[in-house]
Amino acid sequence: VKCQHYPPARALQASAALRRASDEHKKEPLTSSSQQHFDSPPAGHQPEQEPQGPHPSYTGQGGQQSEDYESEEQLQHRILTAALEFVPEHGWTAEAIAEGAKTLGLSVAAAGMFHSDGSELILHFVSECNTKLSKLLEKEQKLVQLGEAEKKPIDEFLRDAVEARLRMLIPYIEKWPQALSILLLPRNIPSSLNLLTSMIDDIWHYAGDQSTDFSWYTRRAVLTGIYNTTELVMMQDSSPGFEDTWRFLENRVADAMTMSSTASQVQSTGEAVVQGLMGAAVTVSN
Amino acid sequence: CRCRALLSGPAGALRARRGLAAGPEMHFGFQTVTEEERREKIYQVFENVAKKYDVMNDSMTLGIHRVWKDILVHKMNPCPGTLLLDVAGGTGDIAFRFINYVRSVRQRQLQRKLKHNQNLSWQEIFDSYQKDQFNSLGDSQVVVCDINREMLKVGKQKAQHLGYSEGLSWVLGNAEELPFDDDKFDVYTIAFGIRNVTRIDLALQEAYRVLKPGGRFLCLEFSHVSNPLLSRLYDLYSFQVIPVLGEVIAGDWRSYQYLVESIRQFPPQEELKAMIEDAGFFKVDYDNLNFGIVAIHSGFKL
Repeated sequence: VKCQHYPPARALQASAALRRASDEHKKEPLTSSSQQHFDSPPAGHQPEQEPQGPHPSYTGQGGQQSEDYESEEQLQHRILTAALEFVPEHGWTAEAIAEGAKTLGLSVAAAGMFHSDGSELILHFVSECNTKLSKLLEKEQKLVQLGEAEKKPIDEFLRDAVEARLRMLIPYIEKWPQALSILLLPRNIPSSLNLLTSMIDDIWHYAGDQSTDFSWYTRRAVLTGIYNTTELVMMQDSSPGFEDTWRFLENRVADAMTMSSTASQVQSTGEAVVQGLMGAAVTVSN
Repeated sequence: CRCRALLSGPAGALRARRGLAAGPEMHFGFQTVTEEERREKIYQVFENVAKKYDVMNDSMTLGIHRVWKDILVHKMNPCPGTLLLDVAGGTGDIAFRFINYVRSVRQRQLQRKLKHNQNLSWQEIFDSYQKDQFNSLGDSQVVVCDINREMLKVGKQKAQHLGYSEGLSWVLGNAEELPFDDDKFDVYTIAFGIRNVTRIDLALQEAYRVLKPGGRFLCLEFSHVSNPLLSRLYDLYSFQVIPVLGEVIAGDWRSYQYLVESIRQFPPQEELKAMIEDAGFFKVDYDNLNFGIVAIHSGFKL
C-alpha cells in the first residue's frame, strides 16, 4: 500500500513513515492494517480504535499529515544529531553523516544532501552547544532571581560559563582540531564567526552587562580572546580532568579584571596629573 | 526534414517535448512519430551504434565526456556499502568509475583502521587482514540496467577486458518499468539516457519507487545553453560536424543526426527540475557543466 501524495502539504513521505515505524516500535503487518481501512469508510475518518494508541495509521490517510509533517531542515537536523555519535570514530566527515543517516533508517546516500567536508555537521554541533549554554545560564539566572542562589561575582561567572561551554567539547576532543581547521575555511568563516559572537554576547548578557558605550566592544573582544586561547590550550592539554586548562582560564580572567581596574586607575591618575599641571600653570601665570 | 516538424503544430510539439504522450504523437529528433515507433527507432539507433559507441563519444566530445562522468561520480561521493542502479548504463562507464571510487575509499578506510590497530597482537592483525582482504569493495554493488541487448553485450565485453568482475551485474530492463522491487537502491543514476526514454515521467516515477528512503537520484544529460554566442557555436558544431563524424567513424549518419536533434528536443534545466519534483523528489538541484552543454540534476527521496 503506497502512501498518498497530498500536493498542498509536501510532507516527507518516506522519512515520516520511518519515524512512525520506529516510534511505534512494532511493525504491524501491512495487510492487517489495510484490512481495517477497507472495513471503515476512508474519507476523513480518523481511525482511533487501533490498540497502539493515538499514533496515526500506517497508510497515512485522513488528517494525520499535520502530526508527521516535517520540513527538510528538520530532517537534516535529525540526521546531523544522529551523526554526532559517530564522530569520535570517523571524524567530522561525510562518513559520519552517512552512518547517522543509517541509524535513522535512511539510505547512506542521504549524506549527499550535505557538503562533503562535514562543515554542516560542525556548525550544527557548535550551535547546539551554544543553545545548551544559553539554557544553562538562563536556569542559573532564574535561581538567582528566586533567591535560591547567590549572585556570582563577574570573574567567577565568566570563568564558569566558559568552562561549562568548553566541557561540552570533551567527548569530541580528539577530532576537535580537525573541526577548528574546517571552521576556518573561508567558506565557513561567516557562519562560524556569527556563532562565536552570539555565544559571547549571550554570556555577557547573563553576566549582567548593560553597557552602552565603547566598553560593550572591549568586553566582548576580551572575552572572545579568553575563550579562543583557552580552547587552544585545551587542545593540547593532557593533564587529568583538564586542570591545566581551567587554571589557565582562571589566570586569564583575573588578568582581564586587573586590566580593567588598571585602566580606570590610569584614567583617574591621568586626570589628576592634568589637573595638577593646570593648577601649576595658573600659579605660574599669576 | 526539420520544417515538417515545425509545421506539425505547437501544441503537439509542446506535449511531445515534455515526454508526456497525451496523444500518439511523439518526437524522434525533429520528426513526429508514434510512441511505439519511437521506441523501436531508438532501439535500432543504439543497436547500430553499440560497437562504436565509446569511440564516437570520445570523438564527438573530444574526450570531455570522461570528465563529465568523473564529475558525476565525485558528486555522488559514494561510501562503501552503497547499492547503485545505473539505468541506461549500456557500456558501463558510470559503473566502472563507481567501482574505482569505492575501491579507493575503502583502501583509505582500511589504512585508517590499521593505524588505529597499533597495539594489537600479530594474530589479531592477521585476522583483520583476512576479513578485509576479501572485501575490497566493502559490500558495494552496482547493477547496470539497459533496454538494449547490444549495448549490454558491449558493456560485458568491456568489463571482462578491463578486469571488472566483483560487485557488478548486468540486467536487461526498461527504465519505464524496472524489474526491481521497491526501496532497493541507495543511488539511481542515468547518464545520457533519459533523453532516449519515451515517457520521462514514468521513468522518474520508477526511479522514485526503487530508491530507498533517503536515496539519491542523479541524472547527467545534455541540456540548454543560455549563452547566445556559445549556443550558436554549439549548434554549428552539432549539426555540421557530428553527423559527418558519425558517417566517417561509425558509418551511420542518421543515428547521429537523431542524437543532436534529440538534444534540442529535450526539456531545459528548470523544466526537468520541475518534472523531477513532480515525481516526489526533494532538494532537487542542478549543476551546469560547460555553460549548460551538460547538466547534472540531483534529487532525494525523503
